[in-house]
This record gives sequence, structure tokens and C-alpha cells, in this order.
Amino acid sequence: MNAPPNGHDSVLTATALTKIYRRGREQVRALDDVSFDVRKGDFIAVVGPSGAGKSTLLNIVGCMDAPTSGKLRLLGHHVENATERERTLLRREQIGFVFQHFGLLPTLTVAENVALPAFFARRPTEDRVKELLEKVGLSRRGEHRPHELSGGEMQRAAIARALVNSPQLLLADEPTGNLDTATGGTIIDLFRQLNTEGLTIIAVTHNPALAGAARRQIALHDGRTASI
Amino acid sequence: MTWLELSFKEWQRRPLRTCVATAGVAIAVAALFSLLAFQSGYREGMRGELDRLGAHVLVVPKGCPYDAASMALHGASWPCYLKQRFLDEVRGVPGVATAAPVFMTALYDALGNQTVYVGVETNILALKRGWRITGRPPERDDEVLVGSEAARRHDWQLGEKVPLPGLRERSGTVTGVLAPTHGADDTFIHLPLSSAQRLFKHKDELTHILVRLADPDDLDHAVALLRGCDAGLAMNVVPLAHVFHTIRSLVNSTRLMLGCIALVALLVAGAGVSNTLLMAVAERGRDIGVLRAIGASRGDIFRLVWLETIQVCLSGAIAGVGIAFITSRSLETWVRSTLPFAPTETLIHWQWWNVWACLICAIALGCAAGFLPAWRAARMPPMVAIRTGKALA
Repeated sequence: MNAPPNGHDSVLTATALTKIYRRGREQVRALDDVSFDVRKGDFIAVVGPSGAGKSTLLNIVGCMDAPTSGKLRLLGHHVENATERERTLLRREQIGFVFQHFGLLPTLTVAENVALPAFFARRPTEDRVKELLEKVGLSRRGEHRPHELSGGEMQRAAIARALVNSPQLLLADEPTGNLDTATGGTIIDLFRQLNTEGLTIIAVTHNPALAGAARRQIALHDGRTASI
Repeated sequence: MTWLELSFKEWQRRPLRTCVATAGVAIAVAALFSLLAFQSGYREGMRGELDRLGAHVLVVPKGCPYDAASMALHGASWPCYLKQRFLDEVRGVPGVATAAPVFMTALYDALGNQTVYVGVETNILALKRGWRITGRPPERDDEVLVGSEAARRHDWQLGEKVPLPGLRERSGTVTGVLAPTHGADDTFIHLPLSSAQRLFKHKDELTHILVRLADPDDLDHAVALLRGCDAGLAMNVVPLAHVFHTIRSLVNSTRLMLGCIALVALLVAGAGVSNTLLMAVAERGRDIGVLRAIGASRGDIFRLVWLETIQVCLSGAIAGVGIAFITSRSLETWVRSTLPFAPTETLIHWQWWNVWACLICAIALGCAAGFLPAWRAARMPPMVAIRTGKALA
């Protein structure tokens, strides 16, 4: 599969990404020759059945794993051969992550959780955290612990945390997977609002509502792109 | 938020397990601190005893020199005696500056309280240079010089005529009161030598002779001369520095053994902390993955877990020092009952450097114990954050 041309507003260009895992003597081809292009302001839903390679793709795009072969150009960086330090810097400065399980540290307050990425970037946070908590509707919940929040509030806190370093790309792994339909709807609305403000979003999802809210969909099946 | 706050909050996540690990460190540090405090206290106590005695050599009847030294220092009834004529021979030995004869005995009342009577000549003042006397030393038969503690216990005043404890129908006039020496002299009642010998029916007999040399560096030569005089076969010449050196060597051996036990306890505690943190790292794998995903570097994760371990060890050390303080009295009572010779001063005598040494040990232990968990946590791939499972928050 040929990769689309890399324009000046390209956020991500994946070319023939392949990922092979070893499971004992067996080789598992989790991604097989996947190519796609993401432009600034895109909102992409990655869909497909379980085991299709969605999480593997998110790991590679999020600089958490390296492809076995293929090329990945992310925000102007060739990351397929990047060092651990370069990947960490990209994750810290350019990418925001939202997880299905929220990933909030239970011993920290909501505000402290939101501030964490900026803390690792050695950046002052107070005003930015306030601004983001207000944006996601949690301005009165900053001093609460995560266990005191509802599922929807926890996910909004996680979204605020993903935005604290003003990333150019937001990656979400099943962001509505642990939420009921109504709560999931508010998260989808928040994603839509963020995308309208210019944030590029890639979300792995099984949720048809979230997939429907995206501008484009990438369907994976057995590690291959079934449709774009 | 600071690194210290972040790691502090993390180790509160499993409070019971962390407390158990901290308690292990606390017990080991308490043992180490007590040992260091004992070392300081014992050494200073021994030095103080020597200084207060003022003698370089103790001449005693034949028998165990360590028992004799203990009796002379702490006061007791002696089982055998020296002939007073030996005193002239001792005084005649070259190098002897002062030879002070002493007759000592102890009496007990119905409650078991001990009163030590010490008969001395006025030349004792040449040895007891640290003595400060309110009044004057006893000169006549019915005069006594009392130690500060004895005066306080019996509520005796200077010039008062007082009944002598343990001696029926005997009384004496307090002509002098000793200022506190912080030694056994504080509890003694001193009287003229001849008076003590008559009172306790041991005419022309002594319990021991305190000898001060003109040149302490000439100790070995002077001791050889004392042993070689005519009375040498009938008396035991005990160089006090040698006695204390031997006692200290014995105590040092015990201390070395206890030190090894404290060291092993520290290592076991360190292994416990390391194991606790390894388990914590394994359990928090996904959280660590999340931290890596949101921008923490391997160094950041290493630092976080390492700081956590050091904090556990440091908390244990602070608790351990506290435990050592609280238990020091009981420990001192126990140590005193097991030692062959214990100075009258406080045995468990802590100094600030003991505290710092324990804290530094705990930090070093934390650094060592935390290395493996921190390294494992730092090697954890960020991908584990994506794995599905029970949500932590």
C-alpha cells in the first residue's frame, strides 16, 4: 500500500508499518503493512474487532513501541529508529494520552494528576491546570481524589491531564470503554469540541457513537487496514 | 508538587506493608543506635571512673584483680585484708608519689539498703583531686565526711551529729560534705582510717592501697618493683589501666558480636524493603506505564522509586532512633546486669553523631535496597499502560 504524499500540515505519516511479536515459537503479525496519513485537525477513529491490531497501532503511533519494519514520520520526526530519550521527549511534549482505565494515580488529587506531565517536563503548572479543569468542568474537583469522582469525571480529568503540555496530537485508547452511554456522550462531545479548536485526535474505539463523531475512520482487520 | 511529595504519596499506597518494612528498618537502626550510644557511654564511663579514682595502681589482697577493682570502685565488704605494715613497703618503692591506705566495708539495713564506710587518711586528697568539700575532711574519731547523695538521702547537714546507719548507738559529726562527683564516692561515708579499723574491729588491717605514681608512663617498671618487694607475695598489684583495658577488650568483643548482629539485621531489613518495593513495582506496573506514556523518562521513574525506598528507610531510621531513646533505660538496666564491670555513669550515652551515623546508614541502605526495584521500574515499557484490565482509578 502506498503512503499518501507528506504535506506541510501532516501530523503523521505511516508507511508500511509492520509489527511482529514472538509468542514462543510462533510469530504473531499484529500489524501488517499499514499505511495512512493524518493531517493537522484530523479526528480519526481506529475501529476493528478485538485482536485486529488497534492497540498495537496506538502503541507505535504514541512512540511507546517501535515497528518491526516500515516508516513513521510523526510531527516532522522519523520515529521508527528514534532513541528511547527522543521517544520520551515526543510523548512528553507533543502527544497527549487518554486511557480506557483513566490511569489516574489514586494517591494524588485531581489537580496533581492533571499537573503530572508538566511536572515531568519541569514546567510551571498552576495556571494551566486551573484553566484545563475549568475547560473540562472540574474546577471544583481539583482537590478531590480520583476515587471520589464518577467515571465520566475521571475521564475528563484524564483528558485535562493529556492536554496540560499543549500537545499537537491526542491519542485515546477506548476512552468511552468504561463509561455508560450518557457519560460516554459527554466525553465524545468534549473530543468534538477539542477537535473543533484544532487538536488532532486519534481514538481507538468500539463505540459506534465515537466512531461516528470522527471525521475519518481507519478499520483494521487481522493487522491490515480494511478501509480508510 | 515536588519529587519528595510525589514519592511520599506513592509509598502511602500500601500503608500496612510499608509499615512492616519500615518497622524492620526501625528495629535494626534501634539496635545500631543503642550499640553506638553504649560504646560512647561505656568508654566515657570507664574514663570517668579512672579519673575519679585518681590512682594508677591498686594494691589489694590476693584474689581476682577484677573483683577487687570493682569492690574498690563501687564499695563492698571485703573478704580478706592486707597488713598495714605493707603500706610502708609500698611507700618505699621508687616512683610511688602517694600511697593512700583504705579500709572499706559495707553494711546493710533491714530493707537491704547498702551503706559503705571508707576509712582514709588525709593524704587521700592527693589522689582525689576532683573532690570539692564543703567543710573539712574528718580528723577525729567521731567525725565523718559524707558524699552528696548520702547527705541528701539522710538529710544530713554540715556540723550535724548523726546516727551512723547500720551501727547501733554510734554517731558521728558531719565535718564535710562532698560536692557531687557523679561516681560511687557520692554514696560513701568517709571517716579517719584508724577510726574505721577500730569500729569494724580490723586493727592494723587495710582493704586496699591506692597508689599514685610520680610518672604514669613508668607504670610497668613501678608495678614490677611493687611485685618484687618483700610483701609482693602477699598482695596483688593491679595496674588499673591494664584492668580497664582488659575489661574494655572483653566488652569490645561482645560489642563486635552485637555489631555484626545489628549489621545482619540492617541487611535483612534492607532485603525486606527491597522485596516490598519489588512487589509494589510489579503491582503498579500499569501506573508506571501510564507515567512513562505521559512523559516520565526512565530516569524519572528510577528517581521516583529510589526516593520512595530511601524515604521508607529514613522513616525507619527516625522511628528506630525514637525506639532506642524510649527503651534506653530498660536496656541500660539489662546491660548493667550482664556486664562484668559497669561504670556508675550512664552506660547508654548518645551523642548527635550517633544519630547522624544511623541516618546516613539508613540512607545508604535505602540507596542499595532501592536500586533493583528502581531499575526494574525504569525498564518497564510504557506499553503496559494500554493493557486492559481492572481500572486503578
